[in-house]
Amino acid sequence: MKTKATMLLSLLILILAGQSATAQQQRYTVSGYVKDKKNGESLVGISIGKSGTSLGTVSNQYGFYSLTLPAGEHELQFSYMGYGTYKTTVNLRKNVTLDVSMEATSSQLNVVTVNGQKQERTVNTLNTSINKLDIQQMKKMPTFMGEVDVLRAIQTLPGVNTVGEGASGFNVRGGNSDENLILLDEAPVYNSTHMLGFFSVFNPDAVKSLNLIKGGFPAEYGGRTSSVLDIRMKDGNNQDFNVNGGIGNIFSRLSVEGPLVKDKSSFIVAARRSYIDILMKPFVKGDMKDTKLNFYDLTAKANYKFNKNNSLFVSGYFGRDVFGFGKDINMNWGNTTATVRWNHVFTNRLFMNFTTYYSKYDYSLKFSNDSKKATNEDSQGYDWTSNIINYGVKPSFTYYINAANSLHFGVQGIYYTFKPGTGTSTEGSLKHVKQINDQHALESAVYLDHEFKPTKKFGIQYGGRLSAYQFIGKGTAYYFNDTTPGIRKRLIGSKDYNGNDLIKGYYYFEPRISARYAFTDEHAVKLAYSRTTQFMHQLSNTASPTPLDIWTPSTNNIKPMVSDQYTAGYFYNAPNDAYELSAEVFYKTTDNQLDYIDNANLQLNPLIEADLLPSQGRAYGLELYAKKDIGKTTGWVSYTLSRTERKTIGISMDEWFLNRYDRTHNLNLVLTHTFTKRTSLSANWVFASGTPGTFADNRLEFQDWDIPYNSTEKRNNYRLPAYHRLDLSMTLKGKQLKRWKGEWVFSLYNVYGRRNAYTIYFKQNDDDPTKREAVRLSIIGSIIPGITYNFKF
Amino acid sequence: MKKSLFLILFAVAAGFTACEDKIDLDITKGISYPVLDAWITNEAGIQTIKFTMSVPYTDNSPAPIIDDAKITLFDLTTGESYPFLFKDNKYTYNASNKAIGVIGHGYKLHVEFKGEIFEAFDSIKRVTTIDSISYEFKTKEESISNKEGYYAKFHARDLAGATDYYWIRSYRNDTLRRLEDNFSIDGSYDEGVSDGNTFILPIREGITDYDKPFQANEKAIVRMLSLTHPSYDFLTQVNNQVNSGGLFAKVLENVKSNVHNTTPSGKTRILGWFGTSAVSRAERTFK
Repeated sequence: MKTKATMLLSLLILILAGQSATAQQQRYTVSGYVKDKKNGESLVGISIGKSGTSLGTVSNQYGFYSLTLPAGEHELQFSYMGYGTYKTTVNLRKNVTLDVSMEATSSQLNVVTVNGQKQERTVNTLNTSINKLDIQQMKKMPTFMGEVDVLRAIQTLPGVNTVGEGASGFNVRGGNSDENLILLDEAPVYNSTHMLGFFSVFNPDAVKSLNLIKGGFPAEYGGRTSSVLDIRMKDGNNQDFNVNGGIGNIFSRLSVEGPLVKDKSSFIVAARRSYIDILMKPFVKGDMKDTKLNFYDLTAKANYKFNKNNSLFVSGYFGRDVFGFGKDINMNWGNTTATVRWNHVFTNRLFMNFTTYYSKYDYSLKFSNDSKKATNEDSQGYDWTSNIINYGVKPSFTYYINAANSLHFGVQGIYYTFKPGTGTSTEGSLKHVKQINDQHALESAVYLDHEFKPTKKFGIQYGGRLSAYQFIGKGTAYYFNDTTPGIRKRLIGSKDYNGNDLIKGYYYFEPRISARYAFTDEHAVKLAYSRTTQFMHQLSNTASPTPLDIWTPSTNNIKPMVSDQYTAGYFYNAPNDAYELSAEVFYKTTDNQLDYIDNANLQLNPLIEADLLPSQGRAYGLELYAKKDIGKTTGWVSYTLSRTERKTIGISMDEWFLNRYDRTHNLNLVLTHTFTKRTSLSANWVFASGTPGTFADNRLEFQDWDIPYNSTEKRNNYRLPAYHRLDLSMTLKGKQLKRWKGEWVFSLYNVYGRRNAYTIYFKQNDDDPTKREAVRLSIIGSIIPGITYNFKF
Repeated sequence: MKKSLFLILFAVAAGFTACEDKIDLDITKGISYPVLDAWITNEAGIQTIKFTMSVPYTDNSPAPIIDDAKITLFDLTTGESYPFLFKDNKYTYNASNKAIGVIGHGYKLHVEFKGEIFEAFDSIKRVTTIDSISYEFKTKEESISNKEGYYAKFHARDLAGATDYYWIRSYRNDTLRRLEDNFSIDGSYDEGVSDGNTFILPIREGITDYDKPFQANEKAIVRMLSLTHPSYDFLTQVNNQVNSGGLFAKVLENVKSNVHNTTPSGKTRILGWFGTSAVSRAERTFK
């Protein structure tokens, strides 16, 4: 491992030395930020090039660019779709700072004409397997109950699917839902949905863009094996005050943004709340009287630009789901994140982003008999809480050596604390507490990536990541006997460790490489290989994770997941960027995914590791994607043909079996047609093979029960019926007054009311228990309408 | 268990759109296994063991009865043996004069079937008493499930010291057909949190079928059975499997059996379970 790293480093030095040797001529750098003129939002992925040459760069995640060119006069061209092209001439006699503000062309909202070059044409970038969506695109898609949803939007992309409606999380290229790193302004989010999976926790008014990386991971990303969903929040308008809002049948939204100091500082605060329970209130009596059923979230961000070299961003998120019946049963759960970022320009060529973050997910569950107890009864309560907290720091650097070379490097550290569960029961003055010991872990990494584009046709990005994971005290390590796989392991001993003592460490080198070869300006092929590791695992043995499914760190018993992925793709961008096409294939293997013994006890169980089984995973597939951005009709089609399987000693006769989220075919069609400036219609059609299920071929009569039994002992031996659904939505914009802008969005979800199967299970008939039946559960059984009025002033 | 609470809440949240319907599946006929259903208690009267063959799940004919097995129960503490004789489709022993089960005793079930010998073991743990059953009449509007009727709950306290596992089964009018099943550790859902406490509310209220609450002049019968830890694990697994619907459905897994073939190179496999319990009982008529 060490030699590999040394070799890589030597290679790098050689290349760099070579570069500087040829750089006889004096060179200077032009650098700066690119912003939107109207609202001051940084513009990401802007193409910046010297006119008439292939020399160029793109602005980074923070809108910063740096381009090194020979001394002399150069015409620079800044272009971005929907923003036109901005040209300027710089005379390079020394390093120059040039901040650029670009104005959106008026037709940006319904892009009907070609304006400037498309941002980061996929044919030009080095990376494979990245999908980008901006909020404007997501807002055009049909919605569920009128709410624009980031997670539903990504499910229309190739390589992404889900177990079904109401499932928390999503699956990328055959990975489990806990293998996605979901970042909100760089802080990880552990539970990405509200209301048990129906809505995403991200407020569309505060989201600027998202990047979904499915393979060919740049070295800066680590900690999850399947994907990175990088969601960036808006900075807030630093020119004018704006209020955005929406009133829908499920939630209402309101956001305010504006300058704190014009041109220098701005903020955005966005809030949402659902109100089913409030609307329901007058109609419920008795036991239902104090029913609580709501969710809310608050997203806020502020930034301050101290000078041309220093900017600070502070952002946070707080969300909750609350369910309850009176005082008797109460549950709530949610995420909290906070991020502080400092952007610093050391020199024209060295950029740093220094991020620190805090992220917490917690839930609590309470029962009490207060409202129902008789006067002579003791009051009684049962409380159960659990949380995961992490603190992270990640300085990352980009060194723009010259137009052909840049280096990305940095270090990362995360400290985790897990409180797997505390159960407290009280009765009168008696109190029992059962606490599963806290767990602690430290995850750290150093990484380096070299982006090398020697010619217009060829580019390569290669590097690696050294990951260290330490399971540390204060805590207890448990040791188990090896028994027959599939049976609960027997405890043979345990050892207590003091604070920060190392219990078990794991160290990995993760090579990352992506290469591109362009035949022409329109056609390119790309290849990528990446190794990723994961040290956090969500324990869930139900069809879809529940908010109560805890996360657990790798321990002396639970080994980290290690995944290798190979990707190859062909990319095409039409000459005028009217449309783009891509075809990618991937093959992925993963070690140490978790599976569970039969009848595993995953809650409030200190010896939970005795119920876990390691499994091996493999997935492969073909992804096709066509997208049209220009014209009256825009949208995309994606098709995925794939397979995902696992093999666990102790389950399904030790043979490979399909994962619960395997779908052979998955077709998505997203189309928007703009009729006039004020009306547009969108449609979304999904067709996917049914997910696998385990069906009973026998019943055992036992104590008045009919127990379903699968005598083949093979898991996921059948498939549910195919899934398909059509959604439509229509947007009618009101008169666009100078200040007030309003629009109505009417949506229909599941237009032809198909009852898609979520699960199939076996039970005795409710009315006649001597009749047995297979039952299909459809989470959405009918057409769901939604109306939202959005406004902006 | 915790999940089932979730389901109630979920039903409220999404109930207006979710739906279930019966479907026909084409499932290959599987292997049919012998199934032993043997639960012995400390109650006086006829003690019954059923021995049947498993059948395809949606086959509505009763399971074929196995009539040629020889079944004997041994009290391992006293050495007494109780032969169970086949009559009227089941194997029975008349314990009307003296109950078989004694708290603290260990038991072995011995089965001879197809020339092979099978054995299973369990023991009888202590059980707490049910102090009373109380109820509340709720109108359609007042009830969570929107059904008018009597909603019953039982009152009991866990025995202090040691971990106690309980199976609480309720019935309507007679014990011919089960109504609801609840399982508890020390009166709550987990070890080490509620030793010696009264049973928590969700378990106490769990004896009523919320879709069909009790009506006037009906009778609620509650039996509380003590369980050993293995029997508790088995029954909770059964309970999860027979209630496996919903958004958080567990994957289908095969329940374990504690009936072991002790014949060297024996080929037959018997599914099912042999369990033993002490029982306390209460009933209440609604007026």
